[in-house]
Parts: sequence; C-alpha cells; structure tokens
Amino acid sequence: MMDTLLLLALNGLIWGLIIALIALGLSVIFGLLDIINIAHGDFFMVGTVLAWFVLEATGNFWVGFLIVPLICFILGALIQRAVIQPIRGAAALSIVATFGVSLILQEVVRMTFGATPRRILPPVEGTLSLFGIQYDIYRLYAAAFSIAALAAFFLFLNYTKIGTWMRAVRHDRETATAMGIPAKLIYVLTFGVGFALAGFGGVVAAPITTVDFRGGVDLLPVCFIAVIVGGLGNLPGTAAAAILLALMEGVIQSVANPTVARISSLVLMSAVLLLRPQGLFKGFAK
Amino acid sequence: MSETILRTENLTKRFGGLTATDNLSLNLAGGRLQAIIGPNGAGKTTLFNLISGLLKPESGRIFFRDRDITGLRPHEISRLGIKRTMQIKSVFNQLSVMENLWITRQASQRFLHPFRPASRDNATRERVEQTLEQVGMTALANRIAGTLSYGDVAMLEIGMALISDPKLLLLDEPICGMSPAETERAVEKIRELARRIDIIIIEHDMEVVFNIADDITVLAQGAILVSGDPDEISNNERVREAYLGRPEDEDYIEEAAHA
Amino acid sequence: MTASTNGRIAIERGVMVIFAAFLLTVPWTIPALINSFWVSVIAEILIWSLFAASANLLFGYVGLLSFGQALFFGFGMYGVGIGIDQLGLSFWPAFGLGIAASMAMALVAGVFAVRLTWHYFAIITVVFSLIFYFLAVSMKWLTGGDDGINFSLPPTFSFGSSQWSFADANFQYFFILATVAFCFFLMRLVIGSSLGKAFMAVRENDVRASLIGLNVYLIRLTAFVMAGFLAGVSGALFAFFGRYASATYMFYHVSGEGLVWAIVGGAGTLFGPIIGTTVFIIIREVVSTHWEHHSLIVGALAILVVIFAPKGLVGLWRETIDRLMASRAERSIPAKVRIES
Repeated sequence: MMDTLLLLALNGLIWGLIIALIALGLSVIFGLLDIINIAHGDFFMVGTVLAWFVLEATGNFWVGFLIVPLICFILGALIQRAVIQPIRGAAALSIVATFGVSLILQEVVRMTFGATPRRILPPVEGTLSLFGIQYDIYRLYAAAFSIAALAAFFLFLNYTKIGTWMRAVRHDRETATAMGIPAKLIYVLTFGVGFALAGFGGVVAAPITTVDFRGGVDLLPVCFIAVIVGGLGNLPGTAAAAILLALMEGVIQSVANPTVARISSLVLMSAVLLLRPQGLFKGFAK
Repeated sequence: MSETILRTENLTKRFGGLTATDNLSLNLAGGRLQAIIGPNGAGKTTLFNLISGLLKPESGRIFFRDRDITGLRPHEISRLGIKRTMQIKSVFNQLSVMENLWITRQASQRFLHPFRPASRDNATRERVEQTLEQVGMTALANRIAGTLSYGDVAMLEIGMALISDPKLLLLDEPICGMSPAETERAVEKIRELARRIDIIIIEHDMEVVFNIADDITVLAQGAILVSGDPDEISNNERVREAYLGRPEDEDYIEEAAHA
Repeated sequence: MTASTNGRIAIERGVMVIFAAFLLTVPWTIPALINSFWVSVIAEILIWSLFAASANLLFGYVGLLSFGQALFFGFGMYGVGIGIDQLGLSFWPAFGLGIAASMAMALVAGVFAVRLTWHYFAIITVVFSLIFYFLAVSMKWLTGGDDGINFSLPPTFSFGSSQWSFADANFQYFFILATVAFCFFLMRLVIGSSLGKAFMAVRENDVRASLIGLNVYLIRLTAFVMAGFLAGVSGALFAFFGRYASATYMFYHVSGEGLVWAIVGGAGTLFGPIIGTTVFIIIREVVSTHWEHHSLIVGALAILVVIFAPKGLVGLWRETIDRLMASRAERSIPAKVRIES
C-alpha cells in the first residue's frame, strides 16, 4: 500500500512538474495578452507529436529537447502575428480565434501523424531503486528536465533584457511603451515562449503518455485551473499550484480509481475557487 | 428640515497598511448643500464608497436619517433612496441615453417583469422624457452612451441619479472634465436641485464649492480637519496648510477671505 | 431611430418571414430539392441552435462566460434517457424530468458560481461540468458512459388508437421546430422586458447596476437558471431525436462549441446563435462528404470571422445593410442640404 502511494505520489509530482511548465506558458499568455488560449492543450500535444517525428527522423530522442521548443516558438510567433494580433484581444474573440487554431492544429496533426494514438519508448529503460521502490529512470530524467526548464524560464524572466521587458509590459503596458519597449514584439515573443514551454512539456511527457491528436483536450482544464488557483498573474503560484494539484490527484489515486481521483481533485478545486477566488498563493503576486 | 441626513460614527476603513478613513464621525444636516473637500488622498471618494455600500468598513457605523445602513449591500442602499455619481464617470456604455435612464427608473421597482415589453411602460416613458428635459439631453436621447462627450456623460449620470427620486444625492466631482459652459449649466442644475433634494458633493473646484455649498467639511488623511460654512472655512489657517502645494486653491481661499 | 435603421429592421422582418415560411415547408421542399436526410440535419441544427442560444443568453446579454452549458444539456438529455430507459416514463414525464433536472442543476451550480468574477466564473463552470462528466463516465451502469444508452421512444401523443410519435419523421421535425421556436419566442420576450434590460445593464457595468438598485447576484442567477432551462430543453430534444444519450455530450468542449457558434453568429443578438450554428453544421455536413478534414475549414472560418466580423455574422449583416441604406438615403437628399449637414 505504501509502495503504491509512494509510486503514485512520485508520478503525480513529476507529472505536476510537467503541467507546471505547460501552465506557465498559459499563464504568460493569459497574463500578458489577456488571451484565453483554448489551443494551449494542443500546443502540448503538438510538442508530443513533434517529439515523435524527431525520433522517427533522427533516431535520437534527446535532440528533440532542442528542436521541438524551437519549432514551437516559431509556430507560436506566427500564430500570434496571423491570428491574435488582428483581433486586439477582446476575450470573446480570443476564445473563438484560439478555438479555430485548436481545430486546425488537431486536424493538421491528424492528417500528418494520423488518428491512431502511438507510444514512444522511453529513451532510457530500466528502473532505479528509490525510497524502497523500483522507479522508472526516465521519469527521473523527466523530473530533472522539467526542473531545469522551470529554472531556466524564471532566470530568463528575471535576469534577461527580454524577460524584463515581458514583465514590464505585463505590469503596465502604457508605461512600458512610453519607455520605449516594443510592445508588439513582446506580444509575439510571449506567444512564442508560451507555445515553446508547452511544447517542451510535450517532449518531456511523450514517453510517459500517449501521442494522440486528442491529447491536448484533457490537459486544458488542468492548466487553466492551475493558473487561476495559483493566482492570476502569479507565475510561481501557477507552478506551485500545478505541482500540488497533480500531486494531490496522484495521492488520491492510491486509494481510489483514477476517475474517482479526478472527481475528488475537481471537487477540491471548486472549493478553492469558491472560497479563495484570489488563488492560493498571494505572496508572490505582482 | 435641519435634522441630520447623514451621520457616521467612528468610521474606519483600511487598505492593507493604509488607513483611508480614520475614525470618522461625521454629522451632516439636511436641507443644506453639503460639500466635502480636501487634498488628494483625503478619503473623500472612499467615504462615498462606504456610504453607498461598495466598501465595507473595518469598524464604525453609518446612519441615513437615523437608520443604520452599515453593511447593507449597494442595491439595498440604493433602494433606500441614496443615489450617487462616480468619480470616473460610469454609465451603461452600449445602451442609448434613453435606455440608460429607462433601466435606471425601472431598477427601482421591486419586481422586474420578465415577459412584458419594457418599452410599454408609459409611466416610465413620461418620467424618462421629463428627466431628459431636466438635464437638457432630449436631443441626445438616442445616442449611444459610449459615444457621448465627457461632459454629457456626467450630465447623464446626474440624470440617472435624479430619475429615481433620490432622497440623498451623492455627487462625486460632478463637474470634473466639463467645459466652462457645461460647468455653468451643471452648477445651476445642482443649485436648483439642492432646493428640494439633500445633496452631498465632493468637489475640487474651489470656485464652485464656495459658490454653492451651504456647509463645507474638510477632510485630510481620512479624518475631519474642520467643518463649517464657507466663510469659516476660507478663513481657516489649517485648511490653507492642508492645501499647501495647490497654489490655485490657496489663492482662491485668500481671495474668498478678503471678499 | 434613424431612417436607415428602420429600413434595416423592415428588411430583417421580411427575411424572418421568408425564413419562417421555409422552415414550415422543409419536410416537403427539402426532400424534393435535395434529399430527406437533410430534414434531419435541419432538425439537428434547430436543436443545437437552442443550445448555442443558452450560451448566448449568458454571454451576449448578461456578460457571463459559461463553459458549463453542456452540463445542463446533459441533465436534460439524461433526464429523458434515464427516465425512459430506467424509470419507464412516457414522453411528457420524461421531458419534464429532463427540464426539471437541468434547471435544478443550474440553480445549484449558479448559487455558487454566479458570485464570482468572470475568470473564476468561467473556470468554475468548466470544473463543474467536468465533475459531472466524470461522474457520468464512471456510472456506466446508469449512463452508459461515453458509449451511451439507446432507447426506444414512447409516443408523444396518443388519443385512443391514434398515436403521434417521433417515429414519424415529419412529426418529429415539427415537434422540434415548435419547441425551439417557442423557446426563442420566450427569449425574445425576456430580452425585451425590464428583466432583459436589467441583464444588459449588469453586462455593461455591474457596479453601476448595483448603484441604481439592481440585485446583480439575483439577476445573474435568474439568467443562469433560464439558460439552464434552454440547454436542458435542447438536451431533452436531442435525446428524443437520437433515441440516445451519451456522456460525451457533457464534456466541456461541447460547451465551447456552442459558445463559438453563438459568437460567430453574433453574440447578444437573438438570431446570432441560429446563424452561427447553421453555418458550422452545414459546413460540417457538406464538406465531410467530400473531404474528411472539414475541421480545417471550420477552424479557419472561426478565425476569419473574428478578424473580419468581430460583431459576428449578424453584426456584419447589420453594418452592411446600414451602410447601404445610409448611402442610398444620402443620395436622395438634394445636394444643398447634404453640404450643410
């Protein structure tokens, strides 16, 4: 029993790290551009699919960590320029526009990758002895990569020029523009970064989940919940919320079947939303 | 009609570390046009927000004609007859001027009929047309509120406050942003209204304040500095001190003192 | 009201009469012109238009962005499905159960949800609908999960030996048409009423609304329950139409589709949901027979509409007609007056 609990808790924790990456991408888009990005789950899905294609083309999974986020970044920038920019971001319109993007992404994947779900074999097989259980080595790699990506993202946001510009535009668009920061460019970059984060999460997750053109649909609500429970505009909060939510669901799964676990964690989320609508983590809010 | 219209008892409101309203005990008599003035940050709009129920005080009570209205919700306070205009003009932007007034009038009804056409309400139609005339906006009746000039929006707000037969009118900087001609019109209107309705006005324009107010209360840092009639206020040293840094007000207070 | 707006309204009235006449003769004209399969497509469009209208009532008129309408659709659908299949109810009691269940659910959910500001409101509608989706999936014995339950339909009316039931395709079509038309009629009444004006006031400026004496919470809750009713009716009709109920239709994505149809058609207009739903479903049906990737067209259309017609297709129509009428009016004014104005 304890073994199952530990296993599921670790799985939940690692899955939470991956979701944190994806949810951060959503939070950045939502916080900066005020866009309700219905296609964000599909950004993740595209990441898993691209990881599969890279593996097929090069025989090397690891190189996907470099190539896929790059492709995703470019795609994100293109989508922002072509679709988001013309709308000037009214919430209703962004829902419809990103819904359209979502349909297109799913269909393009269905056309190229196909409709059958496929699995990627983990690039590293085998297990490691951890806290008395045998744990998949690849999942530990996944954790490491996720943590590295999270760290890199926060470093980028806080210590690079562009990252600072992004934070400035998020905080106060008008003053930032008045100070000479190219807001339009920042919007394009932000969308690209958001897609890239989700895509990176897709590569990390590809070997431990199925690669399927419908893979983004289930993920989307979780990401939005993490963004809102973590506190709108609160990036560290979003990451923390994602990890906690996934961990909680993993733990509940040790005593109940997955569906019940889903339902319980959803009920808990409703409680948070109703009782603390500002989110759980006010501390770091900007 | 010189009984108290509005009274607060030790009213306190804090925002985090900032005390916007500090143990405020106000006593405003009815039948006299009450003005509330003070430098920026004095807590004037916060006071209005507390009275109209948009904010809840940390402690203290608010009384409207001896009725405790502390903690009531905004629509309940509105139904008691307290109507207000906002510092940042706030109307229903995508509705026309006429529709704005119409819905305001119907909102004061207890029951909103879900099926009968709103436009068939002749009593409301009359009242709306009357109010349009009162505020001189009959020509603009079908204009969408969002397309109005700032001064016209302010006038619409006053119209909306009037159409529901207010017992107490709270005007928050009603002439801010108006042209001189609009200001004159508005001031006349306000003076006329003050004859039959109790009004409390927040205003920055000293000329207007000293022109129309019967009683002035000066707030600074959330508390009452001094209160009295225009003569007393204009001669008061502490008032001048509070306004240090606003030379145009200081000059005006000087002039008023020697008028 | 300007002359051009009056002209436009006259044109719209004319269009509606033609449209109504068309709908009344569908069971005969469509099979003659195309084929009878399209009669059921039109019936489906009517059902989903009602669903889109429920999202539109909340979003377009009250400013509440709900991703939860599929939940109430599902309650209406399963009210009928479970009512007939497991409880042995006949047509009208099952219909009543579906409607009552969806309205009750809307009331319960609304009491909590409607207090929240829009981001939290939107996400909690997703969460609520997911909770019940997973419940429906896990209670397969009752709901059939994603596979759903099939059932045969009891007659709608029986007088002695004669019966009217959905087995008769024409009766089915007209019943659906009548129900949907009635619901739209109710919507029209509400929108034109004082309550409807209050909805719009709350949408435009909820602070100002409370200051003029409107109980914003109660008004939002009322709208939420009304929208739950509409979604529930459409769910019940869906169950009657397909003799089928499935948890798939309770998934939040379905709510999203309804919302998109309403916005593309024209949020905040009575006919927006019908037009949006018609466009999307017809494209789906027409294109899918020739090309399996019709979703690409649907997605591209959604994007193009919001970029070029942000007020939806109805908004585009109105702007175009107004502009045409205005320029016609201008041309008929004598030159002297035109220069002065």
